[in-house]
This record gives sequence, structure tokens and C-alpha cells, in this order.
Amino acid sequence: MAEITVQRLTKRYGETLAVDDLSFTVQAGRVTGFLGPNGSGKSTTMRALLGLVRPTSGRALIMGRPFAELSDPVRAVGAALDAHDVHPGRSGRAHLRTIAAAAGLPTSRVDEVLDMVELTPARDRRVKGYSMGMRQRLALAAALLGDPKILMLDEPANGLDPQGMRWLRDILVRLAGEGRAVLISSHVLSEVEQTVDSVVVIGAGRLVMQGSLAELVKGDRRPALVRSPRAAELRELLEDAGASVASDGRRDSMHVHNASLEEIGTLAADHGIPIFELTHEVTTLEDRFLELTGEGGNVR
Amino acid sequence: MNALKSEWLKLVSVRTTWGLLGAMVLIEGLAAGLVTGLGDIEDLRRGNVATFIIGTHLATVFMFTLGALLSTNEFRHGTANSTYVVTPKRERVVLAKLAVGLAVGVVGALLYIAVNAGLGLSILSSRGVVVDADTAVNGYVGVGVGLVLGCLFGVALGSLLRNQVLTIIVGLVLFLLAGTVALFIGSDVGRYFPGEALLALQNTPSVDLLSQTDGGLVLAAYCVVLGIAGMIFTRQREIT
Ligand SMILES: Nc1ncnc2c1ncn2[C@@H]1O[C@H](COP(=O)(O)OP(=O)(O)OP(=O)(O)O)[C@@H](O)[C@H]1O
Ligand SMILES: [Mg+2]
Repeated sequence: MAEITVQRLTKRYGETLAVDDLSFTVQAGRVTGFLGPNGSGKSTTMRALLGLVRPTSGRALIMGRPFAELSDPVRAVGAALDAHDVHPGRSGRAHLRTIAAAAGLPTSRVDEVLDMVELTPARDRRVKGYSMGMRQRLALAAALLGDPKILMLDEPANGLDPQGMRWLRDILVRLAGEGRAVLISSHVLSEVEQTVDSVVVIGAGRLVMQGSLAELVKGDRRPALVRSPRAAELRELLEDAGASVASDGRRDSMHVHNASLEEIGTLAADHGIPIFELTHEVTTLEDRFLELTGEGGNVR
Repeated sequence: MNALKSEWLKLVSVRTTWGLLGAMVLIEGLAAGLVTGLGDIEDLRRGNVATFIIGTHLATVFMFTLGALLSTNEFRHGTANSTYVVTPKRERVVLAKLAVGLAVGVVGALLYIAVNAGLGLSILSSRGVVVDADTAVNGYVGVGVGLVLGCLFGVALGSLLRNQVLTIIVGLVLFLLAGTVALFIGSDVGRYFPGEALLALQNTPSVDLLSQTDGGLVLAAYCVVLGIAGMIFTRQREIT
């Protein structure tokens, strides 16, 4: 059974469809990136999973059950929704103690997680004086308190410097290696691409793709760059075959979508059209991500 | 039990708690000391100055604010997220807050009484004014219960309104303004407003008010109704 199951989840706020018929699963033992531009519904989905918001329709399940029906929520899920969710006047340690007490955990556990996130030297200082990175660590510590089977972190890399990023990556990979399901959201792919094993990509509340990171990069949908002295002729053939072709302004080259390199090469050979260049265009993961989720304009 | 311990830790781990209690003690000490020390000896002797309720209204507002913060800090600072993820049976959290509100209310009441009695009564006796025990006990019970209920009122109202500023403003209006206005325009209903019930409970000399006991009961009823409403509301509404 999947650790997290989102089934046809829809959440509507008045006119806004925050989450729109979204389905995906998250498995144990890996880090899953939950990706989408600002306002695409990542936080809302997580809040639905945690029983904080009620789905308009559909289901958000933890180990097959709604959050409210878990017998031991603290050991099932650890969540960090927003690093700012702390009373600034409390010390980091006092903050964690309030959560540990509610969860029935001893203060010794608080000190353990403080150690894990390397916050021990600052533990008695008031959170008011914490840097963003320290707040992120504190939020992660809170999520780790119950030694949970599932970790759900909303934008944990937000505000981390490259060093902090590497630290987070290591700790998350280790936690997943221990058999936990780790779900982390981000609106910047490059922020998490070295951390995640699989991805769930959403845009405008809808699922865009779910799969491994490799599948996200896979060239299937990357356009091909084709250079041929008989480009116009080849273009017609390709379009007849269902590919879409864009010109790049040069007479002898074009960009071909929806056709594999093999298909293009075979088609050209069948008609005796010489090919000078046939290659995948260089796209970065970031390009791919933008292509999938639609560039900008996602604020609804 | 876990929720209770957590709520207690939340209360004692912010400085505002100590600030409010300290300010209350300071103001009460100042008021009681000044009035009994400088007040006209004849007035004091005739009991024209109700020594036990000096500064009571302000003290109650402080305790109300303390209670309101207990509930609204969660939404002001976003800790509601972790609170209700860790304790999904949300009514338990509200109940624990009410219990902690009761406890800190009692602490506040004892502090008030200690300061008022320790300073006011001893100054009076040094000036040769005798206060009979019945009057004193009756006065302090009214004031003490009022402070406790004021704090509970804050917790309950806060759980219902969630917004910190709104809760405190609504509380101030209810305690300080609404009933007075209603009484002023001659409405009998004004006596049943929280502020007027509080005045009655705390022995404010006035013909317009309920009896002390009735005032206490009315105020307690407000707390119970608001508390239950807060629990139901917190269960039903989303945490955003
Ligand atoms: N409580 C709310 N009331 C009204 N609208 C809301 C509420 N919460 C979220 N929304 C709307 O739902 C949509 C999705 O928001 P959500 O916070 O889930 O996005 P997100 O993917 O987490 O974005 P970001 O990357 O900026 O954190 C947005 O259009 C947002 O305005
Ligand atoms: Mg978000």
C-alpha cells in the first residue's frame, strides 16, 4: 500500500479551484518531489492530507486512511508546513517542547532532534533571532519528533544557502533510506532535483505528471532539432505524420515535436532526404518543468 | 493530559504571560496603595471607597487578554498547524486551553488578592480603619471569581474569533462599553451584558446591577456557552 494516496482530490475556495481532481501516490523508501509553480495547489494538498482542510471532493489518505482516523498520527506523519509557524518569543527548544508534550514524547526526544538538525547551540535562544535557515531546521526538527513513517515538508529548501541545501539533501536521502516516505514540495525544480527520486508535477491544481526523475527528463517530449537541405519537403512529410514543426528562422533547420529521432530519421530515409543534423535539443530540467507546468501566469 | 501539558508549556514559555501578570500586580499595588494611603480617612471609614475593587476592572481586562492570547496566538503565529496535526481531536485542545485559562486565572486572582490585601488592608489598619471579615471575604471572592471568569471568557472568545486584535477589541467592547450603553439608554437587558455581570459579581455599588451571585452565574454562563461554541467551531472549521 502506498504511504500517501491522493484520490481525485478537489478543493475549491469560492471561485478558486485550488486543487482540481488530483490523484497520485507516494511510496516509502524514496524522496518524492511535489512540484508546481506558485499557487498550483501544493500546500493545499498537503493541508488536506493532514486533515487541516476538508476536501471539496475526493480523498487524501495516509496509509489508506484519512488523517483523523490514524491511531497514532505523530508516529505516522511528521509535517513542516511553514518555517514561520513559530511563536517568535519562544526559544527553539521551548517550541519543540510544546509539540513533544502534546505528542506525549519526552523532553529527551526534543534534545535528540535538536541535535539531528544541528541546532543545539541555538536551542535556548528565542526564535525571533533565528535566520531563515535555522527556522527551516527547527521546522524539520518538529517534523522528526515522532520518528514518523512519513515526512511531509512544504518548501523545506526555501531560504537555504547552498550549504544548507546540501545538508538538507543528505538528511532527507538518509531518512528515505531508512524506509520512510519523504514528500517535499518546491516551485523550483533545480532546488530539489538532486534530492528527489520521483516527482509529482502539478499545475493549476491538476496533475501534470507522476514518475521517476528520469522519466521527467526523458527525451520523449523534448523537441528534435533537424537540419536538412530539403527541410521544407521534410516538414510537410512530418506534419502529415502528425508531428508539429516549428521553424527557427533558418531555412535549413527546424524544431520537431511529437516525433522521436528514430521516426524522423526513418521518414527522411524513406524519401531519400539527406539529413545533416538530427539531435535532441538541449533542454535543462528547468525548461522541461516550465514546459510541463506552463510558464508564469499561474497566480490565480 | 498531553494537550494540557502542552498548553501549560505554551503559556509559561512566552514572556507576555509574565508581563501581563506583572503589570497587573504592579498596577493593582499602586492603585490599592494610593487609594488607601491617600484617601480621605472619613470616606474610607464609612466604606465609601470599596477597597476590594480598586483597579479590578483593569485587572480583569488583563486576565481577559491573557486568556485571549492563549487561543489566538495559535493563529497569529501559525502554531495552529502543528497543534492540530499533533492533536487531530481538536476539541481536546480547546478544552485544555480552557483548563489552563482556569489555572492561570486562579494564579492571577491569588496574586491580586495578595497584593490588595497585603498592601491595601494593612495600610487601612495602620490608619485605624477596621474592615470586618465578612465584607472582606465577600469582596475578594467576587473579585477573584471575576478574574478567573474573565480569563476563561478570553480563551473561549478567542477560540471562536481566532483573530487576535478582533478578539481583544470585541472583548473590550463587551466588557467596557456595551452594557454601559445599554444601561444608559435605559434597557434592562444591559444588566445581563458581560461587563455589567462582572461589575455585579465584583460588588460595584450600583442600583442598576444584578445581585453578586446572579452576576457571577451570568458571566459563568457566557463562558460555558462560548467555550462549547468554540469547541464545536474549532472541530468543524478548517485550520488556515
Ligand atoms: N485559505 C484559502 N482561501 C482562499 N484561497 C486559498 C486558500 N488557500 C489557498 N488558496 C488558493 O488556492 C490556490 C493554491 O494555493 P496553494 O497555497 O495550495 O499553492 P502552492 O502550490 O502551495 O503555492 P506556493 O508555491 O506559492 O506555496 C491559490 O490560488 C491560493 O490563492
Ligand atoms: Mg505553498
